[in-house]
Amino acid sequence: MTVRKRKYPGLDPLPPPFADRYPPIAVVEEDSCIACDRCPPVCFFDAIVMEDRPQHKYKRTAVILEENCTGCGLCFEACPVDAIKWIPDKAGLPGPSKSSDSVEDTDL
Amino acid sequence: MPLRTTFIGLSLSHPLLVASGPASHDVNQIALAEEQGAGAVVLKTACSDKYEHMRYWPRPRYKLLDWDKQIGGRSRLFTLYSYEQGYSGTLADYWAFIEACKETARIPIIASIFADAAEDWADLAVRAEDSGADAIELDISSPHRPGTLDFEHTFIAAIWAVRKAVKFPVVVKLAAGPDVLQQAMSAQECGADALTLCNRIRGFDVDIESQRPILHGNFAGVGGPWAKYYTFRHVAEAAQHVQIPISATGGVMTGEDVIKYILLGATTVQILSVILVNGWESISKINQEVEAYCKRKQIHSLQDLRGEALKHMTSPDNIIRWSGESKMGPRNRRKTPPGISS
Repeated sequence: MTVRKRKYPGLDPLPPPFADRYPPIAVVEEDSCIACDRCPPVCFFDAIVMEDRPQHKYKRTAVILEENCTGCGLCFEACPVDAIKWIPDKAGLPGPSKSSDSVEDTDL
Repeated sequence: MPLRTTFIGLSLSHPLLVASGPASHDVNQIALAEEQGAGAVVLKTACSDKYEHMRYWPRPRYKLLDWDKQIGGRSRLFTLYSYEQGYSGTLADYWAFIEACKETARIPIIASIFADAAEDWADLAVRAEDSGADAIELDISSPHRPGTLDFEHTFIAAIWAVRKAVKFPVVVKLAAGPDVLQQAMSAQECGADALTLCNRIRGFDVDIESQRPILHGNFAGVGGPWAKYYTFRHVAEAAQHVQIPISATGGVMTGEDVIKYILLGATTVQILSVILVNGWESISKINQEVEAYCKRKQIHSLQDLRGEALKHMTSPDNIIRWSGESKMGPRNRRKTPPGISS
């Protein structure tokens, strides 16, 4: 995998490569987490909690609750060490298909 | 006490409102806002059934541009670039949501709706009123497709229909252009009780590495601290020409911004991006800053502050100008090329 310079630190400007097949949700790489407590308060969906990890360098880590995560991307911007990544939510359901969207937009 | 404000007949503890968006889609958030000292909350916008697809959200939805996360939210130059959509539940869920908010909250709850046909607007507004909302905000200006329809044909009829159908106050949220002043006057004429100025604007950005538009390849809503400057102007302009109260929103990060909006004629001020980047405590922090200002300036009621700066606005004709041509003239005069006699 080529490492490219991050133009936008934080959330990648494009959705993850699998985003056309599975809904993305966020996950914390626990080894990278520095337990700074910044991500739980930015989540508007109560999807991030801090959990104790006695073996962890910082004794605690952020954990993302899959069932609450709406994949909004905000926690990526809050993490000062880029420890949050995308994973596919294989249980996720797609929204309405494009063809069912018959609404005419009178302005764009 | 000096911060107590009356807005569309509602007595608010503070002039600061949580704007419609991700900080008002859940009943637990209303309690957080109230605890921090929000005067009222505008709920997330519910769309009519015709726009059902707006209840499904893309992922991701938010990107902070020019955001230095290393300094933990102290940046004041960022842009919130978003693909925000409508309330994620059905309309029945939304009415239940309003009821739940009314049961738990002491602060007023302002519902927010979007539709296209006038009868749909009126129907949604009636249901919101029946569900117990204290007022309704007509979100006629979302920067997200298809939130912005034609004002002359769609929204005039919508405001008119809603006004006739309900008894509770109707607030109209206008786009940042074009013709904010004209739309503000039209909304007042149609019977709106207040205006929210202004919604975020539709913007766009490109990733030069992949040479693709960022996120999902369509225009997105953009806002941020910089957005206050054009909103200051629209609020100042509208405040001088309409009699209904104005709820200003755009780029508020500090109490100073709130004071500026009030000095320009706003009655209440709505915030959202600042909560998103700096947390719920932003509400109490901003309230404290406004309170400290009032104390320092010995202001006993925000009413005394409202529109104060407008008194000192002038027309371009009255701006004092000075002669500069004797200084500029010689520098701009064409030099005669050497060897050519004139």
